[in-house]
Parts: sequence; C-alpha cells; structure tokens
Amino acid sequence: MDRFPLGLIVLIVVSLLIFFGIAQRALDRMRLSDKGALAVILALIVGSFINIPIPGTPVPLEINLGGALVPVGLAVYLLTKAGTGKEVTRALIASGVTAVVIWFIGSRIMTGLPEPAGRFGFIDTLYLFPIVAALVAYIAGRSRRSAFIGATLGVLLADIANYFYLVQNNATNTTKSIGGAGAFDSIVISGILAILLADLIGEARERLQGGPTSEGKPDALLAGLRKPEFGRKKRDDKPRDDKEMRRKSEREEADPFED
Amino acid sequence: MKTKQFFIVLSILMMFAGVGVVGYLGLSEAVLPAWNPASVLSNDDVDHMVGKAISIVDAKGSVISQACRVSVGDEIINHKGDYYRVIKVDKNRAVAKSLGKDKEFLAWNEYLTDERLAMAAANRQGGTVGVYHTHTDEAYVPSDGKESIPFKGGIYDVGRSLVNRLEQKSATRVLYDETPHDPHDNAAYQRSRRTAMKLMQQNPVALIDVHRDGIPDPGYYRATVSENKVSQLRLVVGRQNPNMEANKDFARRMMAYANKVHPNIVKEIFMAKGNYNQDLMPTAILIEAGTHTNTKGEAERGVALFADAVPVVLGIEGPQRQVPGGGITQPGADGGGGWRAVGWILGLTLLLGGGFLFLSTGSLKGVADRLSGLGKEFTNYLGPIHKIRQRAKKPGGDTKVKKKACDNTADRAVIDQRDEVTED
Repeated sequence: MDRFPLGLIVLIVVSLLIFFGIAQRALDRMRLSDKGALAVILALIVGSFINIPIPGTPVPLEINLGGALVPVGLAVYLLTKAGTGKEVTRALIASGVTAVVIWFIGSRIMTGLPEPAGRFGFIDTLYLFPIVAALVAYIAGRSRRSAFIGATLGVLLADIANYFYLVQNNATNTTKSIGGAGAFDSIVISGILAILLADLIGEARERLQGGPTSEGKPDALLAGLRKPEFGRKKRDDKPRDDKEMRRKSEREEADPFED
Repeated sequence: MKTKQFFIVLSILMMFAGVGVVGYLGLSEAVLPAWNPASVLSNDDVDHMVGKAISIVDAKGSVISQACRVSVGDEIINHKGDYYRVIKVDKNRAVAKSLGKDKEFLAWNEYLTDERLAMAAANRQGGTVGVYHTHTDEAYVPSDGKESIPFKGGIYDVGRSLVNRLEQKSATRVLYDETPHDPHDNAAYQRSRRTAMKLMQQNPVALIDVHRDGIPDPGYYRATVSENKVSQLRLVVGRQNPNMEANKDFARRMMAYANKVHPNIVKEIFMAKGNYNQDLMPTAILIEAGTHTNTKGEAERGVALFADAVPVVLGIEGPQRQVPGGGITQPGADGGGGWRAVGWILGLTLLLGGGFLFLSTGSLKGVADRLSGLGKEFTNYLGPIHKIRQRAKKPGGDTKVKKKACDNTADRAVIDQRDEVTED
C-alpha cells in the first residue's frame, strides 16, 4: 500500500482509531476495568494474526485467536460472572435465538439469484447481526452483557452451522475459517455494536418511561442511582476529582438495566 | 407490577405491528413482487428462482439500467458520466432522478489523455492485487447448464481469466483465493470477510470480488468491445459503508481508465445497499461480470479486457504520478474521496456519539458534564501519579481534603453494601 495518497492514509488511520476507541468504550461497559478493556483490544489486534488450525476435522477448520477465541472467551467469562443462574439461562437462550434469527434472515430471506446481496438484501449482515443480537438480548434479559454474549455466541453458532453445512456437502476443497477477519470479524463487530445498541435501546426506553424505576428495587442499587447525601451540603454539579468519577462509574454499574 | 408487564407486552406487540406495517408499506414496493413467504422455508425455490429484473427509468421514461433489486437511494453513474439516483421503486420499474453529470468522473476522463495512457504502458512495475469470490456457486446457464453450482461455479473460470491476464500482461502479483463461501446468501459476505482479511494481510493494493449478475436479459451486458464479443461489467459500491466515498472514487477511476483502454468495457457503477466488505479497504471493489444468461466465454473475455486497465489504475504502473506539463484537474488523485470519507466517519461519530450522550444523560448540561469528565477518565491511567502529585501540591491538614476523605469513606460504604447485595 505504498502508493496510497494521503487522504486514504488519514482515512485508514482515523477509522482504525475510532473503531478501537469505540470498542474500548463499549467493552468498558462490561465487567471490565478501563485497563482490562484496553487489554482485550490489544489481544484482539495481536490475535488477529494468529490462526489455529484444528486437526482431524472432515473439512479443514481454523479458528482465529483475535476474531473468535478472545471475544468468545470474554463472553464465557461474562457468563461465569453472571449474578444468577437465571441470568446465565437468559443469556444462553438469547444466544440460541440470535443464532436462529440471523441464520433465518441472513441465509433464508436474503438469498437467491438477485445480485449482489440476494432478495431483500436490505442491510448488510455486518449490521444485521448486532441489531438482531441487541434486540433479542434486550427482550430476553434487558442486558448489555447479554447482548454481547448473544451476539458473539450467536454468530459463532451460525458459523458452526455453516461448518456442518460444508461437512454435509462434502466440501473438502475449502478451509472453514471462524473469526478469520480478526478484530474486524463479524463476531467482534457484532459483539461491540450489540453492546452499544442494547445500551441505546435501554436508555431510550428508560427516557420514554420517565427515568429508571425505583419501586421494589434493593436500596443498595438505588443508592447508585441517586447521589448519596450523608449530611453533605448540596453538591455542586461539576465533577471534581476521581472520587466523583468513581461514583459515576459505580452509578453506571448499578444501572438496573445492566444486570 | 402486573400492569407494568401488561404494558411491556403491549409495547412489544405494538413494535411488531409497527414493523409489520412499515415492512408492508416500505418493503413490499421496494422488493420483488414474486415472493411467497413460504418460499423462505424451501431451498429449491430460492436457489432456482428465475431472475426478475427491475428496469430503472429516468424522468422521461427511457430505460437507463436494469437490476435485480433496486431500492430508493441507490445511485448509478453510467459510462457517459450521467449520474442518477433512484427516487421511487414500483413492482418492476424504478424511477431515477438525474443529478446531471458526475463532475469527478468527467475530470478523471479528461485527465487520462492518450499521452498518459502511453506513458502508463511504457512504465511497468510490480504490485499485488487480491482476487476472490463471495458467491462461489455462481454460474452461467448457457455454458454451465444452470445458474448455481455449489462450491464450484463457473465464476471460478471467470476469476481465473482475470487473474491470468493480469499476470501475463503486467508485472502484477495476483493473490487468487478460491475458498468457497457457500451457500449463496447475504451471510456469504460475512464468511468471505475472512478471506478478504487474509488477502489483506499480504498487503495488496486492491481487492476485487468477482460476481456475475442475476438479471434475465443477456442483451443488457452483451457488447462488442475491442473486436471481442464480451459481456460488459458493472462495478458495485456498497452504500452501507462509512468509507463509501473513497470506494466510489476508486470505482470512478477504474471505469474512466478501463473505458479509455477498451471503450465501453465497464457499463456503469451501481451504488447499492450493502457493505460487501468494502469497509476493509478504500480500494476494494465488487464487479459483476455479465449475468447468468450470458455465456461464460463472454464473461471471461470481458474480465480479461478489464484486467488490462487494473494495474494502471492501482498506480502499479501509474499515470497517477505527476506528469510534467499535465495541468488538467486532478481530482481524487490526492485521495479526494478519501478525505470525504474521513469527513463522513467523523460526522457520523459525532452525531451518534452526541445523540448517545444526550440520551444517556437526558440533558445538554449532562452532556457537558460527561464530556468534561471524559478527560479525567483518561487520566485514570495515570491514577497513582496524579494522586501523588495532588498530595504533593496540597499538604495534609487541609480541611477540604479531610472532608473529601470522609465522603470517600461514606461512598465506599454504600458501594460495599451494594456489592454485598448484588453478589450472589
């Protein structure tokens, strides 16, 4: 790419920065610290270059570290960190439903002779998958984390289904790659966009409803929603220091939607 | 609580109803009429559906193009440089509004003079191009017998024709990836994304995704170009791509140059809904080599002629470099499309980011607070240093600090209590 004009180089740099910046901000909303999210991003980038062939499979199969193992690992980690069994069940059901829906829309509805994207190719699968995952996760559990889990595992399941299709059709001349596009794979992009979309849906719904519900919620959760007073005078609105920041992030965590 | 659940269910039902209504009003007109919902469940119908084309007409009613699927907002730049945008789609007819001549295409056309073409031919250098097929089952009915042969469609022969010509006629190194991405559906782009990325890791100058169209009329693409009976090409640029302007610019350059070398080999540029993995690279392009009713030979000859233009356009052998005395406008040569795409991306980020902030804080004041807090969040990485510095600045005993510490403890207590409750 040595002859790319400056405009294109700036374009590539800017889009990379924005993509990874957004990804970091999105992952930050999971059960990850700022640094943790940054570490995941680095793992995604470095892992993009590592393909792990799986031996002994009827159709050659390879799994990318950054495009599949890291996001799926993160999803599994989030599952293990889930508060209740109910949450885990909901997230897993959401993943299953997501997989079925994206297969149905991507491979059943948007298919056929019409070029370049089949009948009803109204939206690219790159955007379709996260939209489906976010909606399903929101209906199933109103959860950002579940949206991420649903998107990554859902796309992974759709890939596994495609692998079985290849095996069934004896397509031995191919190498099935899962997550081969690394940090830009649909598994990663779906996960990240799904977090943001679920957040957007949740916030929008809460606004429409006129603020988060507080009725019947544990006091400790509510403490995060309103500023603790503790005999202090009315606080000024400016965030003053890291204490304020911490309280803000705690409040975010206590968002009933997240759990 | 029960009324709340009722409202939730009601709202979901309302949303479904809304989607249904919008779908009925919006989609039913924009898509093929011959769709039977049950066909979604049956394989045969989908893969062997006879292609139907929508004619795209201008305001006067004369046909300017044909495509399988057209939606409002799709754009066309034809080989003469006429620019159209689809404004209405009926059952088998779409109306496009003329946007006049595409100035940038015309400027490219003007820029590529005979001298520059000659210079380009004389000046040869190496470079790398990636070629792959997203729909690997695509085939040509007159030559292959049917329009879809899973895993080994006739499109491979067309791809090989392009690759061979590129390798023979120029010093271009071609990375040809024959990984199949079946079945033939939209998700194939998700699968071919991996192939495209694999090619990109070898640092190509451009990525070409070779397809064939699905319109039934072979005459639409059939032509005699440079004394060869060929099927012409259509370049497709995806609109659902933040880098679209850059890819569009590349397509313009491609069409302008290819048509200078072999007049009319590229029929038009079509900007359709989709992404087609063009976000991966500003020089990624999708080509439709004829349609399934053309013969494979026509398509093979067509892409071979197109191949003659590729190396130069990519700058591999290029007139893109400054030519002494060449004073004509040089649009896009410095990446004009690239800059516009940067603008798009930044604009979208600002718009969405702003909307997101507004929504999540609920007021403009909240947005300001969040933004001012953003800087602090980054200083978190330097947290300890920051604190040490602060301590150094403010010696102990300050009442303010003490009060802060007191508040901190109180906050901590609340948080701890909350954690205890939620941790189960």
